[in-house]
Order: sequence, then structure tokens, then C-alpha cells
Amino acid sequence: MMGELLFLIPMLPLCGALIIMFAGGRMSRKLLAAVASFSVIASALTILWLWPLAAPQTRVSLFDWFEAGALRVPVEILFSPLSAAMALMVTGVSALIHLYAASYLHNDPDVRRFFALFNLFVFAMLIIVLADNLLLLFLGWEGVGFCSYALIGYWYRNPGFAAAGRKAFLVTRAADVLFVIALLWLFRLTGSLSIATINQQATSLPAGTLTIVALLLLAGACGKSAQLPFSSWLPDAMAGPTPVSALIHAATMVTAGVYLLCRLFPLISLSPTALAVIGLVGTATAFYGASCALVQRDIKRLLAYSTISQVGYMFLAVGAGTVTGAMFHLITHAFFKALLFMVAGAVIHLAAGEQDLFRLGQLQKRAPLLFWLLLAGALALAGMPLTAGFFSKDAILVACFALNSPWWTGLGVVGLITAFLTALYALRLVYLLAADRDVTIGHGPLPRGMIWPLLPLGLLALVGGQLNLPEPWGGGTVLQRWLQTPSGRGGTHAIEWGLAIVTLLLFVAAWLGARYRFRTLPMPPGGGVAAFFTDGWKIDALVRNAVSKPYEATGRLLDGFPERWYTAVLPDWLGRLCQSAGRYFRTFTSGYVTHYLSGMAWGTFLLLAILLIGLLR
Amino acid sequence: MIVPLGHVLLFAGLLFVAGLAAVLLRRNLIMILIGVEIMLNAVGLVLVGASAYWRHPSGQLFALLLMAVAAAEISIALALVVYLKRSRGTIDVNRFDGMKG
Repeated sequence: MMGELLFLIPMLPLCGALIIMFAGGRMSRKLLAAVASFSVIASALTILWLWPLAAPQTRVSLFDWFEAGALRVPVEILFSPLSAAMALMVTGVSALIHLYAASYLHNDPDVRRFFALFNLFVFAMLIIVLADNLLLLFLGWEGVGFCSYALIGYWYRNPGFAAAGRKAFLVTRAADVLFVIALLWLFRLTGSLSIATINQQATSLPAGTLTIVALLLLAGACGKSAQLPFSSWLPDAMAGPTPVSALIHAATMVTAGVYLLCRLFPLISLSPTALAVIGLVGTATAFYGASCALVQRDIKRLLAYSTISQVGYMFLAVGAGTVTGAMFHLITHAFFKALLFMVAGAVIHLAAGEQDLFRLGQLQKRAPLLFWLLLAGALALAGMPLTAGFFSKDAILVACFALNSPWWTGLGVVGLITAFLTALYALRLVYLLAADRDVTIGHGPLPRGMIWPLLPLGLLALVGGQLNLPEPWGGGTVLQRWLQTPSGRGGTHAIEWGLAIVTLLLFVAAWLGARYRFRTLPMPPGGGVAAFFTDGWKIDALVRNAVSKPYEATGRLLDGFPERWYTAVLPDWLGRLCQSAGRYFRTFTSGYVTHYLSGMAWGTFLLLAILLIGLLR
Repeated sequence: MIVPLGHVLLFAGLLFVAGLAAVLLRRNLIMILIGVEIMLNAVGLVLVGASAYWRHPSGQLFALLLMAVAAAEISIALALVVYLKRSRGTIDVNRFDGMKG
């Protein structure tokens, strides 16, 4: 009975979106923001209220979406510990970002469209999180894709921004096709689209098929989570307003891929090959993102590459078999990356829209509180010991090394190198923002509404590690006991402590390096190598050469022969044939009655003759 | 039946061909109409002959109907001829080619 109330969780943001869409025209700016924020806060409170219901088997079905033959798609919510935790994180972070956005967009004319889409996004994201049926999940999956597209191109009058939205849409759509194939294949194999049923029946599937399906799912997840080779849309997605980047492109939507893999982990874990590939993709992306973030000049692009890199860690965690580790890093990352993005938004606001790191600075003098928040986020990102990022990243690396095979040890080492790069670029960000140089002075002081939503996130970025403090640290592994998900092979104390010391050393080394390199007024990166990394390893050019150009060439080719032939030459020719035939047959109609009559007579004669011949035979 | 059916059919056929020849070869509208009448009468002759051969009255009934229809048809046709003579001043069919494509 209480169970039906679970539908309030996604419905509240949907109601908010609908109210803003249909009745928002007459609302004042403040009321719009209040409706949007309230619906999300109410949703978060509902989750807290219904928290006791969360159990692996809590499922509530509202109605059947549709039924066709063996395919039955109920609108069903699964309120398992995993989805409950994810939903709480999504709504909690969304609520804070909504409050921040209310101040951030205080003089934007289209604020109604913004909040309607923002609420709609939360609704779609909650559908992904709570759905038990893969098709319902896909509805949310495409819903967040659409909202992401619409919000990246929010300032659509700028053609570049609109193009960035289109790019995000197209790239994720390409990956979604693979996801849909996996979905249909799973339906064929198991006769069901329910995640629970699929996970149960997974053991009976042939190993080869399982691997291919898992890889297809991985491709779908890679598209949404901006992993290689689908990563290129995320840096461009920074065209959207900063709250959008914080919510969609850092905290929630880009982690949907990780979440999908976590939900389907019982299926995926049956294929060691798929796990190895997931780990490889994750590590490669983590390293790729970190190397690109190291040389970015644009503050938001830096954070975007950082997000790509951090989501790569989550993929590595899934590959290494620790769903708990992936979720732990997902949650802590949501805290510190949302924080960093919102700090970036505030910094950009202070500098009147300037996003170039080499023209920003003096942050600790102009806005000390903001600087401390930045430091909290950056230290968590850098994995400074005892911050949230330190524990979640270490959990992943411990799981890698504990597997005790050359493959995973290798990936773990790359993960460590990436951790060093991460610390380096995180501290570079801090040093550049604190640099003592002439800066543009922007729109005056920060609105209070842009500061206080950051405080809880700053706190969580520092102490969020308590959520799942590993055992050697005297922690209770709260998250692990709550989620009850696979956490990989537990590491020995030696691995835990060894890794902690190594990461500490790496952090200190990175700090010294960043201090040496960036403390004094540094010059912007230049030269071909820097350009290579700034452009994200030229992946865009690669895609253009490998996909777009052959496609266009094929198009031109087809335009020449079949297209022009079938749409111009052939119809022209047929038309002329009909015309001349008409001109010829026209001469038959002389207009003289006698001619017509003799035609009729000869016709009759012919028919009679044929009949006669038939009779004589 | 005194006259054999074959003779009746042969005569009717000759009559029909004669009428058809008149329709196709003459230029005067009146003559064409007369040709049509001859063809109709050939058909009527066949009906009556067949009626006598099978000793069944329906053929004769058809012949009567045919006469009535032919009378109606020819009266309308003659009215049209009169109208054409007045409006165009001629009843030569080769002068009418209003249906030319």
C-alpha cells in the first residue's frame, strides 16, 4: 500500500515540469524557480520518507505500459538498496543545483524553458534509476538524452552551441543503437525485459552470446558516459549553462552508463572477456581524460575532461568486479564534481563570462569562501588522503590489485599514473585560479544563492569517504553493507596500506610538481603537443576523417549515379516517352464520326473472326 | 417454318452488312441514319426468325421493343440533324470534326 507512494518519486519532478510548461507563462521568475526546486526537494524527501521500504525485492507495478505477444512492459519500480541510494544521490544533488540555478540564471529571459527541461531531466533520470524493465529504462535513457540535447543548446541563438547539442545527441544516439540491439537480443534470449529476470536467467545463456551482449551493453553505456570512443561530445557539451554541466554532464546523466552496468552486473560478470574490456575501456578513458585535462585553457572543458576521466575509473571498478566501488566513486564524484562545476560557474560569473584559466585569478582575494570550496572539491578530485575521492579511488585500485593477475595489475598501474595526473591537473586548476594577475571584474558580488548550495557539497567532498570507509581504516563500510552488491575480491591489509602510501606519495609529488610549475605566473601551454592534448587527442578530427568524410564521399558518389539517375534522368526520359506517345496517339482522334465507327466495325470484325477461329478448332 | 433459319440468318447478315456499309461509306447524315435503321431491322429479323424457329414468343416481343426504341431513337436523331442543318448549314459528316484531339 505504501509501495504505490514510490511513484511519487519520479512523478513529482514530472508534475513540476508540466506545471512550468503549461502554467509557467504567468509565473514570476521566483515562482518558477520555487516550483522547480520544490518538486525536486519533495522528491528527495519522499525517498527519505520511504527509505525503510528499500529492499532487494521491493517492486511496485503501476500499470502495463503495453503488451504485445510475449512482450509485456509493466511500468514497474524496483526500490532496491542500489536504486534507492542512486535516487537519493540524484535528487539530493539535483535539489542543490536547482537552488543554485535559480540564482545563476537570475537575468536570463528563457528561464521557464530552462526549469521545465531541468525538471523533466530529473524525472527521466529517476526513471532510469528506478525502472526494473529495460524498455522503461530506455524511455528514461532517451529522455535524459533529449533533455541533455535541449539544455546544451539552451542558448540556441549561438549556432556553435546548437551544434554542440546536436553533436551530443548524434554521438549518444549512435551508441544507443548498439544498446537497443543488446536489449532486443536479451529479449529474444530470455523472453523478458525485466532486469531481475534477465539477471536470473543469465547463467543459462551460452558464453559467446553473453560476451557479445555484454559488449553491446558496454557500448551503450560508453555513449551515455562519454567513454572512448564516444567521448568527444562531452567537452563540447559545456556550451550549456553551468548548472546543466554540473547536473547532467558531471553528477548524474554521464554516470547512467555506469549505473546500467551495475544493475546488469550479474549478467556481465559471467563473461570475463567483457569485464576485461570494460576495465580496459575505463582505464584508457581515465588516462585519456586526465592527459587532456592537464592542458585545457577553458575551465569548463578542463572539468569536462576530468569528468570523462573519473567516469573511466568507475568503468574500471565495474570491470574489476566491484560494483560497490563503482557506486562509491559515482556518489563521491557527484559531490565533488558538481561542487567544482558550480564553483566554476561562480568564478565565471565573477569574471563576467571569462572562461580562460589564464585570464582568471586572484580568487582567494576576491571570494575567499569560494576559494575554500574550490580547494575542497579539487583536493577530493586529486585524491588527497582522507577526502572522499581518496577513499573511493583507492577502493577501485585495491580491487584491481587484489585480482592478482597481470592484466588487472597493469590496469591498476595505469590507474595510479592517472591518479597522479589527476592530482596534477586538479592542483593546476587551484593554482591558476589563485594566480596573482590582472583579472576582469564582472557582474559584482556573487548572489548568496550561488554560495550556500555549495556548502553541503563541499562538506561531503571532504568527508564523503565516511560512506564506505574501508575496514583497515576502522570504517564500517556502510555503503557496502547497505548495497549488498559484489565488491570484488577484498584486498589484504598489505594492499590497502601499500596503495594508500603510494597514492599519498603520488599526491605529494603532484602537489610539489604543480607548485613548482604553476605557482609563479605560468604561460599558457603552446606548441603542437599541447594542441594535440587540448583537442582531446584530435579525436574529433579522427571521427571526421574516419566516419564523416567517408560518409560524405559516399553521399556524393550516390548523388552522382543512382540519385540523379533515378530522380532526374530516368523520369525525364519516361516523361518524354509518354509525351511523344501521346502526340502519336492524338492523330487517331480525327474528330470524324465515320473514322470512329469504322474503327468500331473493324474491332467487332476482328473479335468475331477470333471467335470463329476458336469455334472451328 | 417454311423458310429455313439459315436463309433468314443469311439475309439478315446481308442486310446488316448493307446497313453497315451505308453507315461507314455515306457522308450524308440522313443516309447514315437510314443505314443504322437497316442494321436495326436486320437484328429484328434475326429475333423474329429465331422466335419462329424455337417456337417461343420472346423473340417477337424483343422485335416489338426494338421497333419502339428505334422509333424513339430516330426521332431524336432527326431532331439533331435538323438542328445541325440550321446551326452549321450542312449535314455532311466530314464537315464535323469538333472531337479532333
